[in-house]
Amino acid sequence: MITLERVSYKYPHTGRCALDEISLKIEKGACTLITGPSGAGKSTVCLAIAGILHHEYGGKKGGSVLINGKDVKDYKDLGELAANVGIVFDDPEAQLIFTSVEEEIISALEHRDLSEDEIGKRLESILEKTNLTNIRERPPHELSGGQKQRVALAATLALGNDLIILDEPTSELDEHATDGIFEVLKVLKKEGRTIVLVEHKFNRFQELADTVVLLEKGKVIAHDEPEKILKDKSVHDALIPDFSSFRLKGVNLHRDRKPVIIIESLTHNYGEIPALAGVDITIDNGEFIAIVGENGSGKTTLIKHLIGLLRPDKGRIVIDGEDIEKKKVTDIAHSVGLVFQNPDHMFFADTVELEVEFGPKNLNLPLYKNLVDEALREVNLLHAKDLYPRWLSRGERQRLAIACVLAMKPKILIFDEPTTGLDGNEAKEVMEVLKRLQEEGHTIIIVTHNRQIATNCADRLVLMESGKIIEDISLLED
Amino acid sequence: MAEILQYIQKKGLFYTLHPITKIFLIIVLGFFAITTTNIPFLLFLIGIIVVLALLSNLIHELLSQLLLILAMSVVLIALMVLTLPSGTTIGFLIPVGIPYIGGSIPITTGALEFGVVLSLRFIILISGFQLFVISTQPRDLVHTLERFRVPVDYTLMFVIALRFIPTLQIEGKRIHDAQLARGYNPGKGLLGKVRSVAPIIIPLVSNALSRANVLGLTIDMRGYRKKRTSTFRERSFNRYDSVTTGIVLIAVLGGITSMVIYGHTL
Repeated sequence: MITLERVSYKYPHTGRCALDEISLKIEKGACTLITGPSGAGKSTVCLAIAGILHHEYGGKKGGSVLINGKDVKDYKDLGELAANVGIVFDDPEAQLIFTSVEEEIISALEHRDLSEDEIGKRLESILEKTNLTNIRERPPHELSGGQKQRVALAATLALGNDLIILDEPTSELDEHATDGIFEVLKVLKKEGRTIVLVEHKFNRFQELADTVVLLEKGKVIAHDEPEKILKDKSVHDALIPDFSSFRLKGVNLHRDRKPVIIIESLTHNYGEIPALAGVDITIDNGEFIAIVGENGSGKTTLIKHLIGLLRPDKGRIVIDGEDIEKKKVTDIAHSVGLVFQNPDHMFFADTVELEVEFGPKNLNLPLYKNLVDEALREVNLLHAKDLYPRWLSRGERQRLAIACVLAMKPKILIFDEPTTGLDGNEAKEVMEVLKRLQEEGHTIIIVTHNRQIATNCADRLVLMESGKIIEDISLLED
Repeated sequence: MAEILQYIQKKGLFYTLHPITKIFLIIVLGFFAITTTNIPFLLFLIGIIVVLALLSNLIHELLSQLLLILAMSVVLIALMVLTLPSGTTIGFLIPVGIPYIGGSIPITTGALEFGVVLSLRFIILISGFQLFVISTQPRDLVHTLERFRVPVDYTLMFVIALRFIPTLQIEGKRIHDAQLARGYNPGKGLLGKVRSVAPIIIPLVSNALSRANVLGLTIDMRGYRKKRTSTFRERSFNRYDSVTTGIVLIAVLGGITSMVIYGHTL
């Protein structure tokens, strides 16, 4: 169905080689999983297969891409390609154009020369397939990331193409939402659609794949069935990140068993909806805590209380011996640092150095220039001091976000989903930084959906459900 | 968080009307609002919009903008007082008792009257547009604009602009929280406020721009820039369209006639 013959691509201006003589054959009805570290050329391959690279992008292109036996260059425009290829991108927000789930799907169906009856039938079938029937009338801003991505997939399915390309559809999603996408893809595979899936969550999607293509620096370094490809140890290590080595790091260092956070009967409601229902927890100095739980269990609401972004309806929070009820966020920020899930929500400065400077300057910390260097060194970004923050890779941006908060010298560091959107290596780099910070005496709290990271990196696992802590387990070995 | 200009799923008069009828009604009301300076007649037009909102179950949504509209009215009236003094002076913005500068900005009846007229005009135009947008599904809007031969690129631009308003609101709140956690201090005084906008606006705009590429490719790869080949649940004109149009036209013309009979000029 798709043939790539010695496809090469160099970006304009930089001249960086993104694809280096890639040859692939994708059979009709097969599911091909393309994976590899960040910057390997996965998204560029997607654009090449969809014909977008040849029609929309400048730069130097070589080789040929055939879809259904026809060279993509011979398709008139993207409109004609759209009749043959469906593509879902990584950013769920940017792919929703209309203001309800149903409208998004109908609008795509209306471009297919179908009768009104047929549109109605297909709408119902797509809603059911993508598990969107119950939320068909919801506007995009009321949907979770996973739901948005399923809507984007549903609108793509509405075009009726056999070939579906998915470019990291779960990169911004947690594990629960990823499962939702997995289930939809399982149904599509059963229907016999041809699926090209770019993903770095190899573990989750290997079951679907007929073939796995491992890319590195624009080259295919392995291409085989999932079981066979894993026999090579270096490929195995690249595809399945192992966090078990973290178990030994940071444990019991600087632990004086003095409580640094005391939360008593914390209750918070969003209007009528209860978000936290009487949370009690004490966290000791130097502990590494992982808070896990489903979406809506109250994890993010809890950590926002620790820095004063939300205030309790009832209950009390004591940090470092002081009740924070009357304290302003800027005062609490001296002892508590919070790194949000998406680092791009904070970057505004022209250089990495100025970005990191912002926090300590706001807190009027003396010698803040030294603090900036110290923080950047801690996250291995000192070399990038003069770069524009948004030019950094996703993993580097995550580490920069950590540096921004670290430079404010808080004793307690809180991270909301610190590894979402990162590939295995980047996630390891971030967790290494966190473990090092624990060794240096910081108290670390992470909110995560990744059980492997939670159980291997934390000393204590806190499980939340419906605004309550339902389990609090020590992971330290005696 | 209050949603600005978003379609609201309800039942009521405006939901049963064809978008073309709604556009026609809004244009009629807007036309008379712009051409008249008669305050009672402008209030009468506002009355028609209020009745339409009541019949459409959207009065709460209209009233939620009241504070914003009042603030805008105060600014408009103040601007008129400052720039267009005419008619009888009824007082001074700076009391006469203040040495040197006292009595230098007169408040005149002409400026006040024109300020009120402008405010009422804006209320009619804004409320009418709001009523139309929040009661019309964007897909119906696209179909209607297509009928008027508006190029599809412009139609999509309008729909996307509306669709991303709440997204930007939510993202703005997230950015604000993230910066607060970094000790961000929304500055004091006008200059401080202007300076402190950068940590919020720059990430907001940068993130929005970084979405533009994917958004553009999505539009192309779903074929939205081509003409639709079929329609689903397309609205047709019904008796509510003719009855509502008739009643509104009769009311407006009746209003004009009575103004003329009672010796007012429009």
